[in-house]
Amino acid sequence: MTDRTAPLGGAATSGPSAAPSAPGPAPTDGADASADFPVNQAAVSDAAASDATAARPADEAALRLEELTKVYPGAARPAVGGLDLTIPRGELVALVGPSGCGKTTTLKMINRLVEPTSGTVWLDGTDIRTLPIHELRRGIGYVIQQAGLFPHRKVRDNIATVPQLLGWPKARIRDRVDELGALLDLDPVLLDRYPAALSGGQQQRVGVARALAADPPVLLMDEPYSAVDPIVRARLQDELLALQQRVHKTIVLVTHDIDEAIKLADRIAILNVGGVLEQVGPPEELLRAPADDFVADFLGDDRGIKRLSLMRVEQATLARGPVVAPGADADEARAVMAREQSDFVAVVVGDDLRGWIGAEEIDRSGRVAEADARPFVAVVHPDTTLKAALDVIVTSRSRVAVVVQDEPDGTRRFLGVLSLDDLAEGITR
Amino acid sequence: MTPLLAADEPFVRWDWVGDHTDDIVDAFWEHLSLTVVAVGVGFVISMLLALVAMRWRWTYEPLAGVCSVLYAIPSLALFGVLVSIPFFGLGFRTAEVALVSYTLLILLRNIVAGLDGVPAAAREAADGMGYESWRRVLRVDLPLATPAIVAGLRIATVTTVGLVTVTSLVGVGGFGGLINDGLGRSFSTPIVVGTVLSVALAIAFDLLFVAVEWLITPWARAGATGGPSPDDLATAATRATRDEKWVGLARSGGLP
Repeated sequence: MTDRTAPLGGAATSGPSAAPSAPGPAPTDGADASADFPVNQAAVSDAAASDATAARPADEAALRLEELTKVYPGAARPAVGGLDLTIPRGELVALVGPSGCGKTTTLKMINRLVEPTSGTVWLDGTDIRTLPIHELRRGIGYVIQQAGLFPHRKVRDNIATVPQLLGWPKARIRDRVDELGALLDLDPVLLDRYPAALSGGQQQRVGVARALAADPPVLLMDEPYSAVDPIVRARLQDELLALQQRVHKTIVLVTHDIDEAIKLADRIAILNVGGVLEQVGPPEELLRAPADDFVADFLGDDRGIKRLSLMRVEQATLARGPVVAPGADADEARAVMAREQSDFVAVVVGDDLRGWIGAEEIDRSGRVAEADARPFVAVVHPDTTLKAALDVIVTSRSRVAVVVQDEPDGTRRFLGVLSLDDLAEGITR
Repeated sequence: MTPLLAADEPFVRWDWVGDHTDDIVDAFWEHLSLTVVAVGVGFVISMLLALVAMRWRWTYEPLAGVCSVLYAIPSLALFGVLVSIPFFGLGFRTAEVALVSYTLLILLRNIVAGLDGVPAAAREAADGMGYESWRRVLRVDLPLATPAIVAGLRIATVTTVGLVTVTSLVGVGGFGGLINDGLGRSFSTPIVVGTVLSVALAIAFDLLFVAVEWLITPWARAGATGGPSPDDLATAATRATRDEKWVGLARSGGLP
């Protein structure tokens, strides 16, 4: 039974643990991550590897929910009804849906805080019911709403929770806590404070550090950012993305905030009331082709704009724009403006953007003088999202954004201009 | 009852106090040991009852009910029954049965209120990270319930110190012995000495608990935690216990 493998395609991300005899971190615990993260040798991977039948293929999903069902006693309808979902290794999958869609129940069935009525959760090819429950949980990171830190323990001891349960030596725990503090950008002074002395955002960061402490391959996050204010939330989300770049965990994130899911997730699973899976796929795919009205409604009536937030300026086709060299005469400048239908020219020397000069000024001076060039305000960079670029464009006088690359020597390399038309083309493409 | 003060008698005769320091010291040790044993045994029993009540929630009301009944039994009646049983008789055991009985309600209610006040998020985090349930109770629930539990201990101890004076009726009463002696002879000095020292002992215990709580809950001083703190809950529980005590007093028609 436990050798059932996921019928999953996907890239052959073969790693060290592809060999059944090698217990250790999940293969996607990326190169640098596994180097500076002590390996959690407990529970999950050992159990999976010691299973004689667990000769699992390298591309197997980290987590697979099969016909997962939960009916609470006395409830007329199941909270989760026959959910099938595959969570690929190293990906962040967001469970999203309205209240009552069973997303939190689903999450809690993965660490058995809720026992399924029927169905199976496969973790690394092992039925989680065959694992000792406490060892299972120690092998899965868990981040909850409002952090859920232990108020009576210093931040340091909060982070050390699972390593302590696993019986790590004191020195190793200490090193690990310091390492995580640095990883999550926690001021070392905070480590020796109690949670009550921390801000909401800091507490949530400690919550993530605590979940990562024993380096579990899988992380469950239950509405982790719902209790912090929008500014802190945005920063924590950015930090999670940056962190995931380093640690490559398999993350299941529950949220009711579709924008959060779009921002963070590699894949989004949209659940309807009763734990019915409506659609699962990368955010871009859902936004481009919602499977039905429910998904479309849930994604909101600004799907196109949301898609822009997933795309970057470098993906758009840039126009060269009304570019002239300094010293050009007024006629040449007028010809360029006429061609580009603009009322200004961009002054560029080689690749270096010097500024812009308006049509009236050229008429007045009769030439393109570098000294007249004024700096552009509507500037975007290749890694700016198209949504942010849209904002720049609609608020700029010229209805275009200038795309530049800031060079280390302080110059601005001119890459082109981006117009509303270019953006529209990006969405419809 | 004869008048408390004889007409020609001073309120306190210091020469009597000087002549009876040994008696007073003996009374102090007796009072102290009766209190410590009563609160200690009561605490152990209530802790076990509270753990049972937390594990099987439906047992809480019946358990609290039994404790309420014990609390409401007039102490005189209880002494009357117990002294006729050979194992108890006049003395320490009978006194302790009464004293322990009266601590249970206060302690049980406060311990349960404290455990109920543990933030649900902390509890869920502990479960989710793989604490066995016994370990969670020991390492998370009880430490977080400490302020409420200490609040219960303070009330129970102060109450017990006061009650010990009554157990002088069965021959062991600490400072109550002095008071009894004074009452019997219409001699105010031992009454005053016994009362003042009994109150002083109660205050000393209370301060001790405040200090101990301060020492073992450094985290509670770190700042507001948001939401109802264990302290708030303890206050609520204390209030409930106090109300029940008055009801109990009304029912039993006098001091327990």
